[in-house]
Amino acid sequence: MDHNTLSTVELREAFFMALYKKAFSPVARYVARMGGSLEEAQDIFQDTLVIYYEKVALAQAEIIVNEKAYLLGIAKKLWLQHYKAGCKNESLNDRDAEIISDEQPAAGKILHYLQTAGKKCMELLKACYYDNLPVSDVTALFGYTSKHSATVAKYKCLEKVRETVKQNSLSYADFIE
Amino acid sequence: MRTSLNNIKAIDDYLLRCMPPGDALVLEANMLLNDDLATDVACQQLTHQAIRQFGRQNIKAEIMAVQQKLAAEPQHQGYIQCIANLFKKH
Repeated sequence: MDHNTLSTVELREAFFMALYKKAFSPVARYVARMGGSLEEAQDIFQDTLVIYYEKVALAQAEIIVNEKAYLLGIAKKLWLQHYKAGCKNESLNDRDAEIISDEQPAAGKILHYLQTAGKKCMELLKACYYDNLPVSDVTALFGYTSKHSATVAKYKCLEKVRETVKQNSLSYADFIE
Repeated sequence: MRTSLNNIKAIDDYLLRCMPPGDALVLEANMLLNDDLATDVACQQLTHQAIRQFGRQNIKAEIMAVQQKLAAEPQHQGYIQCIANLFKKH
């Protein structure tokens, strides 16, 4: 899967729909066999797709030969983590926070503020850093006149959000001292 | 680009491991000497984490919408029923 073909919501919808049809059934069968519920199977599969999407976005999925087996492998690992944790409603971010324990807790706290204060910037930054879209795609998607304009806009947004982070981090540090 | 944006790009290159090793060492040395630079690097890293969380929330919402669409479309009812049957208690 070429990650350049996942630049719009519609393309991603088709991508996820195909994966649901291809791999949800074996994942659900596995979760059922392990004594889980349909809701747990759905939750595990959603997190599996998030992880797989991130692999594809980083162009790390090129060596995956059997997509279905790979997705089932991720799902099994997530189920075992879920089972060991004994927590029914643990989100992917919670699991991730455990794996990356040195991450500062402020990231979650400031997220809501960032979404409301600079949604357009966050959308642009998401396209560049999370979806890992090439500058040419970002230029077209956000209607910039050139790649240079898109690059400048990206760094301006990063600067704007970083300042918000700085202000919030300082106030958070002040609060806990 | 103006100087401050070039500085942001340099920190980005460092955080994303796109910076040549020699330049990375110089930046790390500067971080020890310059508290403002160290704060900028830490905040930019935190910004990347916030963007990732934002991205994950968005992509998960898109996935949930696909799941709801699949469950609602008549042509997929057989498939949905097969999966539901896996969880029926015998």
